[in-house]
Amino acid sequence: MKLAIDETRCKGCNLCTKVCPYKIFKEGKLPNLRGIVVPELDRPERCTNCRLYHLYGRQLCGVCQLTCPDQAIHWVEEEPYEPHKVAIEY
Amino acid sequence: MTSRLEFWQGNIASAEGALAAGCRFFGGYPITPSTEIAEHMAAKLPKRGGVFIQMEDELASIASVIGASWTGARAMTATSGPGFSLMMENIGYAAMTETPCVIVNVQRGGPSTGQPTMAAQGDMMQCRFGSHGDYAIIALCPASVQEMYDLTAKAFNLADKYRVPVFLMTDEVIGHMRERIIVPDAVEHTGRPAFVPGTLPFKPGADLVPGFPEFGKGYGTHVTGLTHDERGYPCATNPGLHAALVKRLVDKIESATQKLADFDVVNPDAEQVFIAYGAPVRTVQQVIHDHPDRKIGFLRVRTVWPFPSHALALFKNARRFIVPELNLGQIAREIERHAKVPVTSVPKLGGELHTPGELYAVWEAGA
Amino acid sequence: MSFEDWFRQDRLPHIYCAGCGNGTIINCTLAAVDAMGWAKEDTVFVSGIGCSSRAPGYIVTDSLHTTHGRALAFATGVKMANPKLHVVVFTGDGDLAAIGGNHFIHACRRNIDLTVVCMNNQIYGMTGGQGSPTTPRGCISTTTPYGSTEPAFDLSELAIAAGANYVARWTSYHVKELERAVKTGLETPGFSFIEALVQCPTNFGRRNKFRQVADQIEYIKAHALLKAKRDRLLEQGERIPEDMYVVGELMRRSRPAMGLAPTEVKP
Repeated sequence: MKLAIDETRCKGCNLCTKVCPYKIFKEGKLPNLRGIVVPELDRPERCTNCRLYHLYGRQLCGVCQLTCPDQAIHWVEEEPYEPHKVAIEY
Repeated sequence: MTSRLEFWQGNIASAEGALAAGCRFFGGYPITPSTEIAEHMAAKLPKRGGVFIQMEDELASIASVIGASWTGARAMTATSGPGFSLMMENIGYAAMTETPCVIVNVQRGGPSTGQPTMAAQGDMMQCRFGSHGDYAIIALCPASVQEMYDLTAKAFNLADKYRVPVFLMTDEVIGHMRERIIVPDAVEHTGRPAFVPGTLPFKPGADLVPGFPEFGKGYGTHVTGLTHDERGYPCATNPGLHAALVKRLVDKIESATQKLADFDVVNPDAEQVFIAYGAPVRTVQQVIHDHPDRKIGFLRVRTVWPFPSHALALFKNARRFIVPELNLGQIAREIERHAKVPVTSVPKLGGELHTPGELYAVWEAGA
Repeated sequence: MSFEDWFRQDRLPHIYCAGCGNGTIINCTLAAVDAMGWAKEDTVFVSGIGCSSRAPGYIVTDSLHTTHGRALAFATGVKMANPKLHVVVFTGDGDLAAIGGNHFIHACRRNIDLTVVCMNNQIYGMTGGQGSPTTPRGCISTTTPYGSTEPAFDLSELAIAAGANYVARWTSYHVKELERAVKTGLETPGFSFIEALVQCPTNFGRRNKFRQVADQIEYIKAHALLKAKRDRLLEQGERIPEDMYVVGELMRRSRPAMGLAPTEVKP
């Protein structure tokens, strides 16, 4: 699972930066095409739900999603990690 | 079971007509002179699987009726003068959201608290234009206990067919009068326009009336009093959309004027013609009865709104229309708008009916 | 299924200002409704007029967006005519306490089986920040430019006094608690009233020294007094600070209720 902010919905209120226990959301710096400063994600792989959703089979924490007044925060499935050989040329 | 003979009060007949039409919800508030309807419904509805609820005021009564109507139930309320004024906002809401509902107004003397126990017809313009904005409604005016029954039942069919608030504009005299009534064993029951799942909830059919997407069926209808598009979503800043919506709300009723028209014509070749609705009908009938040797024309209107203006043309020799009303000439003004000959308004305030002598004197003065 | 499935995705983003707490309350309510496992066709959302009342327009179920203050009267009609429907009412402080105050106390008195979620932002937001019956004394609004001189309504106390079966108050900061409270409200037969204090940065915060949304959230968080703590303070005979408000489950009882679905009626 991967945390994602929907830039078409976010209004830049930064409430998510107040509620995440891991402080994953950081205030953004640059406005996007709609002129909204969307928060940035700081090492989102730390998110409880990202790490443990599949293990527990249910939503965990999710406070940022509940708090987000604009329904902009959600989780997306990631491509499963596939180990593959890397040929290194010396 | 066959039709049976009864001796009923007008208000009771109206309540029974509603029950026969399958009314399942009544939200009311006591007000003289309409209270008997609420009392009768309170006694009878629960036994028939319906719901009677006495709300905290008329604002809430009409609101609950509209809410109930969206669940698919046939719903009505009954009130009089001051209560009717309170209902106006939500009547506009019902017109905007195209909610079928029946409102009985047993008219009493106004303005304000006025004469609670006396008859009047002072709300005829209010029922048509009372809420803000442009809209159209249907109003029926009974003149006998029999018609209280028949027209109440008919009101439900019209409300459902056109998805519009339908008013039974009666008055204290008809509401409290007791007379003989023949109760039919069944009344006609036509349903609401069917909603086709998957289509847009406010997309009108050929008759300008959209199908009724009732609640609880999974249609996911959003109903709003804001200007809405065919999906039902608010879209309050689009001038073209608003104009088209309001135009349709008015047109769906006014284009059906001929179909909705309900009137009787007496002596169509007369030169002087009475036009009446509600209680004054009885006086005019008495005048005609008292003077069989005179050619007294009479247009007796049951559907007052939309006004059947085409009926005026049926009196080819008419020189004058005489309109007795229990107000200062509200419908007379509407008739003036359509008539090509002079219209004489015969107003009467105070709660008493015109006497046949008074009306005959007006007729004779022009003979 | 998650609460996101209850939104009309084609209608989002909604009209609320940046930082408005109403979206949060909708999330929490829908999460509770989702947790109940109700079918969408059996659920109806009703609302009046105001910021909060635009909520049903963003929800996929049947929804009724009615006239100012009358949401509870409409909801009463819906519920009584078809008790099988689950009816949830979104309303605001002006809608519920000012113009709809009479409907509110009578719905509580009837104890009709509705769940009412009141987004109390202490201001009329939609019309541009006029004082409402819940604007605290001293607060600035466009109609109280020198500070409100009227005492404010305590909506939860009002609901308890009028007879509601379940009353709770939380804030837009306490999302998990609010979700649980709404769910308990949905489960409780009879009238359930959940008051949610929300921030209104545009019209309340801006005029009342909350320059950022976060400032108002901090205030809401800092001034929420848990009911358990309030009771403890009372027991110890200590004074309760006047600017604090009690949050938590304030009432749960089982007075006879109206409008229950046939299967729910207990002998």
